[in-house]
Amino acid sequence: MSEQKQMLADAVIRLFRDAGDISSRAEREGFSSALWNQVEELGLPLVLVPEDRGGVGGDWEDVLAVLHPVGYYGIPLPIGEAMLASRLATDAGFDLPAGVSTVAAEIQGQLSRSADGYVFSGTLKRVPWGRDAQSVAAVLEFEGRPHLLLLLLPSAAASVHAAHNLSGEPRDDLYFEAAAVQAAPVASADAADVHERCALLRVAQITGALEAALHRSIDYAKERKQFGRAIGQFQAVQQQLALFGSDAAAVACAARAACQAAARGPASFQIAAAKLRANQAIGLATGTAHQVHAAIGFTHEYALRHATQRLWSWRSEFGNDRYWAERLGAAVAARGAENFWADLTERDDAAA
Amino acid sequence: MQSFSFDPVVLPPGIGEFRAQIRAFLKAELVSTPAVKKANSWAVYDAGFSKKLAAQGWVGMVWPKRYGGYERSSIERYVLLEELLAAGAPVGAHWIADRQSGPALLKFGSEEQRQKYLPGMARGEVYCCIGMSEPNAGSDLASVRTRAERQPDGRWKINGQKIWTTQAQRCQLIIALVRSAPVDEKNRQAGLSQFLIELNTPGIRIRPIVDLIGETHFNEVFFEDCIVGAECLLGVEGAGWAQCTGELSLERSGPERYMSSLALFLELLRVAGPNPSEVLRQVIGRTAAEVWTLRQMSLSVAGQLAQGKDPTIEAAIVKDLGNSFEQSLPVLVQSITDSGVRLEDDSDFVQVLTYLLQTSPSFSMRGGTREILRGIIARGLGLR
Ligand SMILES: Cc1cc2nc3c(=O)[nH]c(=O)nc-3n(C[C@H](O)[C@H](O)[C@H](O)COP(=O)(O)OP(=O)(O)OC[C@H]3O[C@@H](n4cnc5c(N)ncnc54)[C@H](O)[C@@H]3O)c2cc1C
Repeated sequence: MSEQKQMLADAVIRLFRDAGDISSRAEREGFSSALWNQVEELGLPLVLVPEDRGGVGGDWEDVLAVLHPVGYYGIPLPIGEAMLASRLATDAGFDLPAGVSTVAAEIQGQLSRSADGYVFSGTLKRVPWGRDAQSVAAVLEFEGRPHLLLLLLPSAAASVHAAHNLSGEPRDDLYFEAAAVQAAPVASADAADVHERCALLRVAQITGALEAALHRSIDYAKERKQFGRAIGQFQAVQQQLALFGSDAAAVACAARAACQAAARGPASFQIAAAKLRANQAIGLATGTAHQVHAAIGFTHEYALRHATQRLWSWRSEFGNDRYWAERLGAAVAARGAENFWADLTERDDAAA
Repeated sequence: MQSFSFDPVVLPPGIGEFRAQIRAFLKAELVSTPAVKKANSWAVYDAGFSKKLAAQGWVGMVWPKRYGGYERSSIERYVLLEELLAAGAPVGAHWIADRQSGPALLKFGSEEQRQKYLPGMARGEVYCCIGMSEPNAGSDLASVRTRAERQPDGRWKINGQKIWTTQAQRCQLIIALVRSAPVDEKNRQAGLSQFLIELNTPGIRIRPIVDLIGETHFNEVFFEDCIVGAECLLGVEGAGWAQCTGELSLERSGPERYMSSLALFLELLRVAGPNPSEVLRQVIGRTAAEVWTLRQMSLSVAGQLAQGKDPTIEAAIVKDLGNSFEQSLPVLVQSITDSGVRLEDDSDFVQVLTYLLQTSPSFSMRGGTREILRGIIARGLGLR
């Protein structure tokens, strides 16, 4: 990790470590503006924005460095979403919107020109922290080209259908009726497939949550005694945790490789593979973490669920296993046996 | 915060040209190789191929020039290995010498041993086998009983038996782990030594063992009052355990630990065609993701080795995940093939499938079993 990344990661870890049981608090009290303000002070939403546009000038590896702790500590804020939204806004030539920004990967509806700009009518589905955001970025095909839409909230032309994922993180549907919006053509790698880049955000968070569940499980296995010794001394428990640790390592490695690729440009294959691999690890990881903890981990009070409920949710968000296997499988089959290995190696050789 | 280190590797510039060169060579060499010989191809012995590969400068390619090597980088070697395996090249003859015996000689061997054997290895002519396992010493390797007794004239007398020794019947050399001092119950790993022995030495008898599918590739090796010179000791007397575990790191860390079943995936893609059913698309997608992930991990381990680090635990992780993948693929493919496909068919696809169905259980035994690897990983997690 470069020095800059390490410094960023360290600052993020310090901030979140000291935030206490923020996940439980958010379940009770909702959005924490106080913590968000600290996140903004560190410049985290601007990680992907170039320096000459007032940002941090980082890349997707920096995104991973920030989102790993976000996942590890279960931080209930749209930090990754804000990074992507800010990046998309700058890609489209907009000034950075103030306040909390988020991104919508699912958009249905119509954009049209009005006398003094653009009007949008339609729905944004499952928008992370939609109810708390002051702006939402989304990409929609218009006049034959992808356009970035920036929708400002709250707005008289918008209504919110509130919903949340298994760990209480807002996933809201937003309905717009003839809302005045900013729109402009956008052609960057990040805008080409917002759903895919959102999947990469989740992969980055998943690495952290897997690690958190693993660490909790190891600590518990060392501390909990039965039959006169720590349960972690039983080989059956050790072997389960070894497999869990291996899978967590596989996801961490896949996430880094995918982020590296995304920093270089198009990364559809790598992101698809990383999200699929992450989804698959979640099944084993959550099962093992709960098995090692047994009953205590099955309580509402015990913090393990903040990791596992997030993991279960993130597994479905932005493409479950079937979705990504389908995309990858169709693409790989179309390329055929003769190209599989050549394509696989070419992707890494090209960076050399 | 992360438990293990899998830093990504940036491949050196120009690696694409090297890859193209290897592919051109292999394309010409493997035109008539049957598909089934491309599966698990690092177990396929072909001395002629090894010599041709060596003539390209691709055996012992990272070794010093004075021993017949080419002083290429270990990342280049990694790329060579993965290309050989992806193409299904029959690399079984020289594989072990190139991977671990040669490097063991470079690390621990005497100058005389190096000069005597390394150039032949690098020419693809001298092959070495691994004499670790014994009938009563498998996972518990420190319990080997084959003994070496020092004779009054300084030579050694070796008695005992090795087993499962891959390709011993076709190799010139063996590196045997033997007990050279009585067992110390408090430290069973002490008193072990490695010997580098020519297999035509009197007192050595090799008996091939027929494996499950009827092939003979591993053996019993008997030492019966076998007298070897003092110069056959490899490295330091009594340091055999440490030397041997260093060798195991090399043995476990390469791309062969996840690529042995790749040939089946390629055959599957061939029979599936460009527009397969959803069931097949699902399997192809999942397999592609797994291959990509394992390759990233394997490359990372190679990169760490190239930097002189010791990624023992990371290598165990890649071997364990890799072996599980290599083993699950034949079973998965069998479960989804069309009901029209019969295991009696002699198509390339079915031949590769049935070969791997039957041989892949061995993938998580050779080089250390799954349970032993997970024990190492658990230690890495601080649980042991
Ligand atoms: C194809 C093939 C090629 C081989 N080539 C070579 C070679 O060239 N040279 C060589 O020296 N050896 C070779 N081997 C041997 C290989 O290294 C051994 O098979 C391996 O170390 C396991 O030993 P074992 O077969 O005696 O099984 P055992 O050690 O008897 O194990 C049997 C089972 O018990 C489990 N077990 C054992 N101990 C423990 C424990 N402490 N905790 C939990 N589970 C345990 C094992 O994991 C395994 O599942 C080869 C093996 C195969 C299959």
